[in-house]
Amino acid sequence: MNAPDRFETFLLGDGEKKVTEEADTRVQSASVFTFNKEDHTLGNMLRSRLKQSPNVYFSGYKVPHPLVSTFELRVQTDGSITPRQALLQACKDLVTDLGLLSREFTKEWELRKMVGDNVDGGANGV
Amino acid sequence: MAIDLVEVQANTSSLADEFIAHRLGLIPLNSKNVDDVTYTRDCEYCDQYCEHCSVTLDLHARCTGDEIMKVYARDLVVSEPRPNEWVGMPVITDALGLGSVICKLRKDQEIRMKCIAKKGIAKEHAKWAPTSAVGFEYDPHNKLKHLDYWYEEDPAKEWPKSNNAAWEDAPQDGEPFDYSANPAKFYFDVESIGNLEPDAVVLQGIKVLQQKLALVIQELSGDDRNGDADGFGAPRSPDGMQAGGDYGMNQGYTTPFGDTGGQTMYGGGTTPFGATPYGQSGWQ
Repeated sequence: MNAPDRFETFLLGDGEKKVTEEADTRVQSASVFTFNKEDHTLGNMLRSRLKQSPNVYFSGYKVPHPLVSTFELRVQTDGSITPRQALLQACKDLVTDLGLLSREFTKEWELRKMVGDNVDGGANGV
Repeated sequence: MAIDLVEVQANTSSLADEFIAHRLGLIPLNSKNVDDVTYTRDCEYCDQYCEHCSVTLDLHARCTGDEIMKVYARDLVVSEPRPNEWVGMPVITDALGLGSVICKLRKDQEIRMKCIAKKGIAKEHAKWAPTSAVGFEYDPHNKLKHLDYWYEEDPAKEWPKSNNAAWEDAPQDGEPFDYSANPAKFYFDVESIGNLEPDAVVLQGIKVLQQKLALVIQELSGDDRNGDADGFGAPRSPDGMQAGGDYGMNQGYTTPFGDTGGQTMYGGGTTPFGATPYGQSGWQ
């Protein structure tokens, strides 16, 4: 069988980089970031987070081919920060947001458990 | 955790080896605190598999009676040592404590197999998926009009409300349409297979996302051409995240932490972050 190994969709190959930046020569302060071994999970999340920044004019991503596990994220800023900085900040903000979500989730879950509300739907058989 | 390697020592059943191996792979195994297990490919102790990166389950069944015998997941014998006390146990939730059926045996038929369970992710094989169903919904009352319901006479009568509708106020009659509103509440239904509790699935998912982002941050700031000049550099990144968090919470989140945001050592203009456009103007 000539099917590629499934782990090639999430493990970086030898010498492969996670992210590479390529400046967009047609427009000022715009870059295309190519992410290796990532998919819509990260692409869509970063795209929508970047859109919330007041300094980002454009952010969009595409998966060039469904069988090739890369995506391209294009970011254009207003020039006060570089696309790289915008992306970095978006990543950091997402990490904090997720940390907050995780903490709040745990808090709420424990609270529910204490109240005795049957949150786990009877899945206690484990 | 799921069975990934099967060594067939004896199989005189009517099913082919690979058929049974496939069925064994799909048996849910307890994965509580699965972080104690390493991925086999990352394991530093072995070339193939060992007790740090795998769990061995032995299956030996032979039908001696005249009746047809069923082999169940409970017949899998977990061998010690294991990475922790939970990992690798077959998930058994039925009242009789049998677990899933592996195969049936006629008189004098026998199967003897050594199964190696490994840690993996569902992108490699669906047997590693911890959930059987995940539901997602927002705006159950369709206040944002992201949906255009087909109807014969009255959409409100013809379309049943979802369970999540109880969490939000129903729209009043004649309420003006808020065209600038954004969805703010999202509802997820997570159904676990039993190898992890649903809350653990959610928390693990959040953690994986954070790890993915951390890797990107590391790469982006590692060879940052602008270095520390803008305060986004690598050595400062832990502060940076902390500061970002405080600002984030000041903007609309009501947590106990939120109030102190401006007063912390990270707040205000004390760091380069305070001066960035991200600091005050808000992303929300």
